[in-house]
Amino acid sequence: MAKKLKGELFYLSANDLKTGEVVYYSNKSWSKNLKEARVIRREEIEEFERIAELNEKKCKIISPIFVELSDDGKIKKLRDIIRYKGITF
Amino acid sequence: MYKYSEKDKQIVKNRTKEFSLQVKRRIDGYLTEEEFKPLRLMNGLYLQLHAYMLRVAIPYGELSHQQLHKLAEISEKYDKNYGHFTTRQNIQFNWPKLEDVPKILEELANVEMHAIQTSGNCIRNISCDHFAGINKQEVEDPRPWCEIIRKWSTFHPEFSFLPRKFKIAVIASENDRAAMKVHDIGLRLIKKEGETGFEVYVGGGQGRSPFIAKKIKGFLKKKHLLNYLEAILSVYNELGRRDNIYKARIKILINELGEKKLKDLVDERFKKFFEKKLTLGVTELEEIKKSFQLPFDKNIRSEVPKIKNKDFKIWRDQNVLNHKYDGHSIVMVSLKQYGKPPGDASALQMKSLSEIAKKYSYGEIRVTHEQNLVLPHVLNSNLYSVWTDLKKIKLATANIGLITDTICCPGMDYCALATARSIPISQKISQHFKNQLLQKKIGKIKIKISGCINACGHHHVGNIGILGLDKNGEESYQISLGGSADEKTNIGQIVGPSFTEDKLISAIETIIKTYEDNRLNLEDDFISVFNRVGIDKFKQDLYEKNNS
Repeated sequence: MAKKLKGELFYLSANDLKTGEVVYYSNKSWSKNLKEARVIRREEIEEFERIAELNEKKCKIISPIFVELSDDGKIKKLRDIIRYKGITF
Repeated sequence: MYKYSEKDKQIVKNRTKEFSLQVKRRIDGYLTEEEFKPLRLMNGLYLQLHAYMLRVAIPYGELSHQQLHKLAEISEKYDKNYGHFTTRQNIQFNWPKLEDVPKILEELANVEMHAIQTSGNCIRNISCDHFAGINKQEVEDPRPWCEIIRKWSTFHPEFSFLPRKFKIAVIASENDRAAMKVHDIGLRLIKKEGETGFEVYVGGGQGRSPFIAKKIKGFLKKKHLLNYLEAILSVYNELGRRDNIYKARIKILINELGEKKLKDLVDERFKKFFEKKLTLGVTELEEIKKSFQLPFDKNIRSEVPKIKNKDFKIWRDQNVLNHKYDGHSIVMVSLKQYGKPPGDASALQMKSLSEIAKKYSYGEIRVTHEQNLVLPHVLNSNLYSVWTDLKKIKLATANIGLITDTICCPGMDYCALATARSIPISQKISQHFKNQLLQKKIGKIKIKISGCINACGHHHVGNIGILGLDKNGEESYQISLGGSADEKTNIGQIVGPSFTEDKLISAIETIIKTYEDNRLNLEDDFISVFNRVGIDKFKQDLYEKNNS
């Protein structure tokens, strides 16, 4: 999951198992609202990888990923922006 | 149209029940995602960027009006009021919930549809000429053969875990409207010394290594079709690579072994099966053929109403073709409304079209691999009414075969594999070139757009192919020229460095200008000009006028 990640700040995101919707890890739960997403620092990645794994096992989420953020906390990659904002047309 | 037998119905019903239980076990935690993924894929269920995606099979691109109506209902009940017709004549729903999928499959089964083998490493939905049975040039209707292959390949125990996915297309005339030579197996019905049989092509495909299929059998007797297919598949199943996903398709096998070696291996295996295993009997064949009879009397005569309406004339000239039988016409329904995503149809459009098909096309609809729909048998006297009704639902865009009739994959707006967006590119092209006179002046041309190297948008075989790439985090678009998916199938040549999105339209304009400047007359099409002038001229003009 954490391979090839660039930068220092991230969100933990995934898809909800039952609905497929994009969700973000907030504190102790998953939210569709990006504003509630917990910002994760590089040194915390291993801890949140374990959280993702546990939540996969609990059948809450699938396909967890770390979303790279810029220094000012904005989502960097177009793919992740599309996941957050929806289709672009 | 083919109607399910009791056995077919039972098979689909059982599978739906089985998958419902698998979904329940997954949600309840008895199956991990690793265990569940191959099961959901075998039922056409992917996970994309925003949601699950369900791909529903439309066998050889043929739909009844009831089925189209059901697809519309499903999009309303379980999705976001639209469906997306794909480049393999299927339909995809982009937003279903996992917990709803069993109900969707149940509803599909009620109208003799399913999502079986629309994904996974198995034999996928069989593609066919969308003018099967209605064009004068074909030697016979290929649809019964598609149905026979469908029956043979569905749940084939030996071929459910092939090295990689496997696609088959069947055509029956010189004109290839099914991109047959970029399939793993392409079959063309031909007539030789009074007998009809198959030419067999193997190893075509697109993706990161595009290949044109090679002819390995000049004439195969019809009764041996399944034994020969069985021979090809069993050789592939045994020798196809499983160690590297990028080298697992049969196109790689034939290129590694050589055409002759593969042919010899297939022939050797075929001899073992010859007249022992799956020889087709006349009775079974005739029984299947009954499902594909014309729904009207061949002798019906009918004239197009003499109506003076400029727009109707433009539409008729562009979207209406001659039927095999004179009293009827073939109506192409463009899913390329200007500025809209290619291949998308709203629930309202699908419902209304279902009614139009019921009223005017004996309840039949076809899906083309170029992401349009077809009303296959419209009585000439009804053409004006059909046009009027299509116009009401914005399905009368008169652009079939023109520059705005692009093929396009879902791209990064939906797809988890994509490296760039493709739909917005298609929309820009469509908006830029939508002037009818301009389009007519440019003439027939195929632009095909893929959002990644997997080439679902068929960019390799576009006259102008556009491939979306990720260049250091930015979208960029590589252009190839000279590709073709028809009877003169050709893989396009990459013209040079890629373009950013904002420079792409200008680049396409330059390509069109080079083409127009070098045309001998208005009949001279893009491929003829490209083959005559060569890529260097296009390259020179392109990079002189557009900095990539």
